[in-house]
Amino acid sequence: MSAKIVPPGSCTPDEHRLHRRLFLKGLAASGAAAVGSFTGLFTNPVFAEATKKAQKNVILLFLTGAPSQFETWDPKPGRPSSGPFGSISTSIPGVHFSSLMPRCATIAHQLNIVRCMHTKQPEHFQAINLITRGNPDRAGFTRPTLGASISAAVGQLDIKLPNFILLDPNPEGNEFKGYKASDLSGWLGPEHQAVRLGGTFTQLRRATDSLTDDHEARENLRAYFSQRYANEHNSRMAAAENSAFEKVKGLMSSADLFDIAKLPEKDRARYGPGTFGLHTLMARQLCEQGAPFVMVANGMPWDNHVFQHEIHQMLVPELDRILHCLVTDLEDRGMLDHTLVIAMGEFGRTPWLNPARGRDHYPNAWSMMMTGCGLKRGVIVGATDEDGVDPDGTSFNEQNLFATIFSALGLDPYAEYDLQNMPTFHRVEDHADPIKEVLA
Amino acid sequence: MKFDKPREIVLPTGVLGFAAVPDGSLLYAACMDGQLLEVNPDKDAKPAFVPFAQKHTSYASGCVLLPDGQTVISAGFDGALIWHDVASKSSFRHVQAHKFWSRQMALSPGGDLVASVTGQYLAGSEKYDPAPETEPSVKIYDARTGDLFQSFSHIPPVLSVAFSRDSQYLAAGNLMGEVRIWDVASGRQVATFTTPDFTCWGIIKSAHYVGGIYALAFAPDGHSLLCAGMGPMSDPMAGNGKMTWQRWAWRDIPPKMLGQIHDGEHGSGLMETLAWHPDGQSFLMAGRQAQGTWTTAIFSAADGKLLTSLDTKSRVTHAHFTPDGNTLYLAATHGQGKRDPKTKQWDNYGRIHVVTLSA
Repeated sequence: MSAKIVPPGSCTPDEHRLHRRLFLKGLAASGAAAVGSFTGLFTNPVFAEATKKAQKNVILLFLTGAPSQFETWDPKPGRPSSGPFGSISTSIPGVHFSSLMPRCATIAHQLNIVRCMHTKQPEHFQAINLITRGNPDRAGFTRPTLGASISAAVGQLDIKLPNFILLDPNPEGNEFKGYKASDLSGWLGPEHQAVRLGGTFTQLRRATDSLTDDHEARENLRAYFSQRYANEHNSRMAAAENSAFEKVKGLMSSADLFDIAKLPEKDRARYGPGTFGLHTLMARQLCEQGAPFVMVANGMPWDNHVFQHEIHQMLVPELDRILHCLVTDLEDRGMLDHTLVIAMGEFGRTPWLNPARGRDHYPNAWSMMMTGCGLKRGVIVGATDEDGVDPDGTSFNEQNLFATIFSALGLDPYAEYDLQNMPTFHRVEDHADPIKEVLA
Repeated sequence: MKFDKPREIVLPTGVLGFAAVPDGSLLYAACMDGQLLEVNPDKDAKPAFVPFAQKHTSYASGCVLLPDGQTVISAGFDGALIWHDVASKSSFRHVQAHKFWSRQMALSPGGDLVASVTGQYLAGSEKYDPAPETEPSVKIYDARTGDLFQSFSHIPPVLSVAFSRDSQYLAAGNLMGEVRIWDVASGRQVATFTTPDFTCWGIIKSAHYVGGIYALAFAPDGHSLLCAGMGPMSDPMAGNGKMTWQRWAWRDIPPKMLGQIHDGEHGSGLMETLAWHPDGQSFLMAGRQAQGTWTTAIFSAADGKLLTSLDTKSRVTHAHFTPDGNTLYLAATHGQGKRDPKTKQWDNYGRIHVVTLSA
């Protein structure tokens, strides 16, 4: 097995250099045989310890259903595509956001907005898979999602939390329900599958509160999760949960972290009252406790084929408040430098309204936000034409995005997976470039 | 009674509000580009429409023509009410009525007062119940002076508003199916009722509320109140709840429902407008069809049975009978259509359907 570990050349912050030095130190300490593979590298105890010290976190606010770029990051005031909302100036001279985002407008210099995303999947399920796995499908092989890839990269950390946590209070979610029940870890195996929580904390709390001894506790919790995943009719998920059971034990002692009723009241008031905000607050706390990757979703609320403006006028201000709280909190706590915050859907919405006053799916030209973790800040990447129909020049796809994310995390975007009896796969295929505009 | 084949007037952008001079020789259209248009319905008229000078900075959501025929007041999603002079097409008054959208407006039958309703739906709980209002959701202005006459509280968003025929009462309905009725002169709330049949909440895609009462109309005798909208859906974001009206005896204590659209007479889709026929024997409901056979239908006031219907193939936003009841104007919008990739032009998607009714 060969490993092509290429240092991330475009990533220059000190932490990233430290990360590479620690990585090399891990290589030297454990011997090439032990770390000659990608997986072996990250289960190497020396490297794992070093990784922990240089801990990076990711919070992915997944705006499932796909928000409108016109009502968020790329307004087109005065144009036929604009919709009813105006635009407002931001803390970056000359840059405007939707008037629904006044709080984010004040911290635009802390954010990076990519306004020229261009992908090729117009349907939810396929697009969610594309944008969370980072590469197009290849028949017969299931690529790991971003959370699973990062879980594998950080390996066994000395924390009580799972590496990959998916918080979603909504047990449904239409196409997203199918995605949540699917194999999110792919060829990396069940140990990197997401631990899904959110919305059923009462059951979790009941399971943990009813413990009379450790054994009973474990059995209760195992039974709870087994039943839960059996109900979700996916045996691989059940297997994954069993594999993650050691991590789940940690959940028992961390149950308060997953109890929205126990979130600090002052913070609840700032992030809430909606469940998306409360779970984002939970994600912040989990990252404070060392969770490497937390994905927060809330069903599939952004798919507004009907009542586009009526629903966005509620959802966007909520997102605006949540993002503002999250980014400023992370900055105030000194965490933003090592926490990557991403807010995106699976595509955008059409520039034109349909007869039901909705906007339909639109992968041709859309926007997303990413900041933190050594990225530059206050960069507006790319543009769309005057009506937002097409990217105006450069565009980026899911591969460019993933190359950027891995680079920000100090991980080689083009590393080859260590897979037996399988074709060669890389974290990012086709050697796609990262979005260099945002890399420090 | 039946609809004859409608004639269509094409306008650049969707029409959300409408007014007309009594003989129908001039029409006024509040459009989604913020523009107020004076439209000549004569099919040979050139130009077919003339814009007023002052636009709203967002959608124009409604307009009313004062009885003297000299002034049109428009409302918009910019929260403003604008007074326009019909002759000069210039504006002479701008009142910032709300911080958020003016969702609907109504002129008192005497033409003295103009009401506007507003409200932003913001999450107020984990279940996404609406947060309380941050400004009065219902306002009444003096139509001649622009002075604020009354303001009332409601649970936002407030979607619909109507005066009684004698101008004594004002009703306003919201997302949650709650209707509040006030005595206009005293400002006292005189009745309220809530119907659960226009609102839905679910988690198929997302946990939030959708729907509400999109249109209200007092019966000519003032004793009952019609409500229109869309019935609940298992998926709140599907837009396929049943086309719904209900008639309420609002003066009863407690108010009680007198009737509703009959089974088998409705399709699915949001109904946005109500209008009583001038003879008082029937009423019209119209909107958008998701599934079914009509967008516009007339119902018997006596028993609620559907009398006749029409499929305009559009989303009807406002209906207006001429005083003789022989002509019906339907303000409407189509889907916006894609921008032409070569010319970069957008389709015209506003419509006024001119419909004659025959016995």
